[in-house]
Order: sequence, then structure tokens, then C-alpha cells
Amino acid sequence: MRAPASLEDLIESLRCLPGVGPRSAQRMAYHLLQRDHIGAHQLVKALDHALEHIKHCEKCNNFTEKAICELCCSQRRNAELLCVVEMPADLLMMEQANCYKGLYFVLMGKLSPLDGIGPKEIHLDRLLRRAKDGIVQEVVLATNFTMEGEATAHYISELLHTQEIKVTRIARGLPVGGELEHVDSGTLAQAVLERRVI
Amino acid sequence: MIANKYRQDTEPAFVLHAYPYLETSLVVETFTRNFGRIPMIAKGAKRPRSALRGLLLAFQPLHLSWAGKSELRTLHKVEWQGGQPSLQGMALICGFYLNELLVRLLRREDPHEQLFEYYQETLIALSSQQDYTPILRHFEQRMLKELGYALTLSYDVTTNKPLNAQEKYCYEIERGPKILGAGDCSRGLQLSGRTLLDMETGDYSDSITRQQSKALMRYILNHYLGDQPLHTRQLLKDLQQL
Repeated sequence: MRAPASLEDLIESLRCLPGVGPRSAQRMAYHLLQRDHIGAHQLVKALDHALEHIKHCEKCNNFTEKAICELCCSQRRNAELLCVVEMPADLLMMEQANCYKGLYFVLMGKLSPLDGIGPKEIHLDRLLRRAKDGIVQEVVLATNFTMEGEATAHYISELLHTQEIKVTRIARGLPVGGELEHVDSGTLAQAVLERRVI
Repeated sequence: MIANKYRQDTEPAFVLHAYPYLETSLVVETFTRNFGRIPMIAKGAKRPRSALRGLLLAFQPLHLSWAGKSELRTLHKVEWQGGQPSLQGMALICGFYLNELLVRLLRREDPHEQLFEYYQETLIALSSQQDYTPILRHFEQRMLKELGYALTLSYDVTTNKPLNAQEKYCYEIERGPKILGAGDCSRGLQLSGRTLLDMETGDYSDSITRQQSKALMRYILNHYLGDQPLHTRQLLKDLQQL
């Protein structure tokens, strides 16, 4: 027996979520229709509202409902520092660590040469305009320490050096509280290579 | 033993590319020494505390152990070999270029032990030298040779005479250089004998040689790559324009 067309539609639509295959999509669809009509209505409303109202902040490119997000408007932040991160989740982590009082720019991705994601796809022209506002004195590169993150950091540093803006990269090495015995070889090798004078 | 046929232990390999698969896994394109390019699934490699995270890095010599009969093997163990500084800055972008060439031109499960050695030497050269042009040209030539498309750089293919540095030649794909003379070069690329001879000996000190050898390699590689351009080449171009 075939499921009704609208049910099949729903299952197919749910599959656009990351990590959701045909079986999970079916489970979600049955749950929403059988047990949680109110939840389903709320989901529709929330999704609709978010799609209509959420856009990218003009300054930091993060998601916001206003033209410029709250963080960028805040008077308490140091506008001379601009931290570049790959994703909104990275920004949240930086905020949780409570170690940085400057402003941000969220790339919403990274350079990935083998996947065909180049400088245009991650809006580096917008970052350049943002960094050239005359107030920013230092750009802190906090892209991931993956090969792609490193390539992104290199590209941005070359881009900003031509504008004579100071560029720094967050440090890497052993994790705080880390023991040599348990750390992976790659991290340890890099930490030895990048050792510093104390 | 039949049980071992589908299982390989501690095989020297490099990671060429990795992309996410489902929620917590990665599909890794690897270049192994004795088995060629093999795709593998690294289960759980994207979990926050996965031990694979700091190991499954491109441009680093690894020993991989895997099993499986299907095209996508299952990766069991990764061992760090090390001894090679990781690529930084421009060298890193050049490394991506090598990887893109290999992913595009190497067929799966087609072993190329010699090319594996060249690749490793090239990575070491990239991490220790500043002038990347000769390194890249050298690798491109050796790679084409290993894949069965070796260039002819020392003699004229129509007359079989050695090339003359002062003459102009027309290089035709899958044939080689022929003297230009009064003929046109619509089916090939025009360049000087000096460039071809310099490429043969690996001497890239001359600026015209650098320019023309780059054009020649691009011309030949484009032929084998087909319609899709190389993304890293565009990135290198963008970087140079900054």
C-alpha cells in the first residue's frame, strides 16, 4: 500500500535536514501526525516566522532579525577588534569562553578548494569592507585548525595585509589540562614545532 | 588466506580529501602506496572526542588499516607517522592543488607506487622551499609520466632530431613538439625550444621558461581534466591578484 501523497511529501521534505534519512523522516512524520498536532503547528509557525524575519547582520553576517544584530550594536564591545569565525556555533563558543570583548565576522563557511568553495562563496569582499571601516585595528583569525580553516586564514591574512590591517591568528597546542601521554600525535607534533620562548 | 584478502594493515597512505558523511562520520579519499586511491569511511570521526580528529589530516604521512569488500572501505585504524612539518600559507594552497590533480586524474584502486613516492617528496619540498614553481612543474610532469601521458621534451616528433633552443616549436597533445617553421599552430601550443629543453633538465631559472612551461602544463592538463576547471588553480590566481 502506498502512503497518501501528502504524507509522502512530508517525509520527502523532512529529508532535507542533515543526517535525516528515509527511515528517520518517516518516524518524524508519523510522530507529528499521530501524537503531536500542536507541536507540528508550532513547527510550521516557527519555521515560517524564521524564514521571513531572519536575515544576515549587515556588519557581522550572523543571523539576526534586525538590520544590525545586538552584539554589533553593543556599546560594551571593543570595536577595534574583529574576530573572524567560520560558523555561528563558533561565535557562541567564543562567547561562552568569555575571553574576548571585541566584535565578530561570521563567514558562514570556509574555503574548500576541492569542493569548489572559493573566496566569492564565503563573501570575503564583505569581510574586507567590514575590516576597512577605519575603527578596526586588529583582525583575529579564529577559523578552525583544519586544512581548510588554515587555507581560509591564509587567504584572509593575504587579503588584509594589502590593506595594512594587523592580522593575528589564535594559538594552537595542547589543550588546557592536557597530558602528553593522552594527546594525539598530530597535536603534539605541531605543538613542538610551534614552541615558544618563555 | 581468504580472510585477509579484504583486509589491509598499516599501509602507508595520505589523505587527499575528506567530506562529511551522515551525522558523525567522514568519507576520506586516500592515496595509498600499494593500492592507489581508495575511498574509506571513517566512522565517528566527526565526534567531538574522536581520536581520529587530530590524525586524519591531509599532507601528513599515515599508516592506515581498513577492511571491506565494497567500493567504500571501512577505516579501522590510523597511525601517525609524522616527521614532516605541516604545510602553511602558500605551500598549503599548492598542496591542495596537488590533491585536486590526484583526485581528478587518478583512477580508483589503480596503484602507482612511484607516484606515491614523488608525492611525498613534493610535499617535503613544498614545506622546505620558497620557490614553488619548479616543484609544481616537476610534480605535474612526473605525474603525467606515471599515468602514461609522458611529455616529449627532447626531440622533434616529425624529424626525430634533437630540439634547438633557438627555434620555435608547436607542441601537440599526445604527440609532442614539431618545428613551427612557416606552418600554423592552431592544433597545438607555440613555445620556444629553450623552454622545452629547460623543462627536460628541470631548470626553471629563466622567466620565459617559467611562463611558457606553465602555459604548456595548463594546456596539457586541461586536455586530460575535461570540461571542469581546477578549483585550486582559480584560488591561486585570486591570491596572486591580491
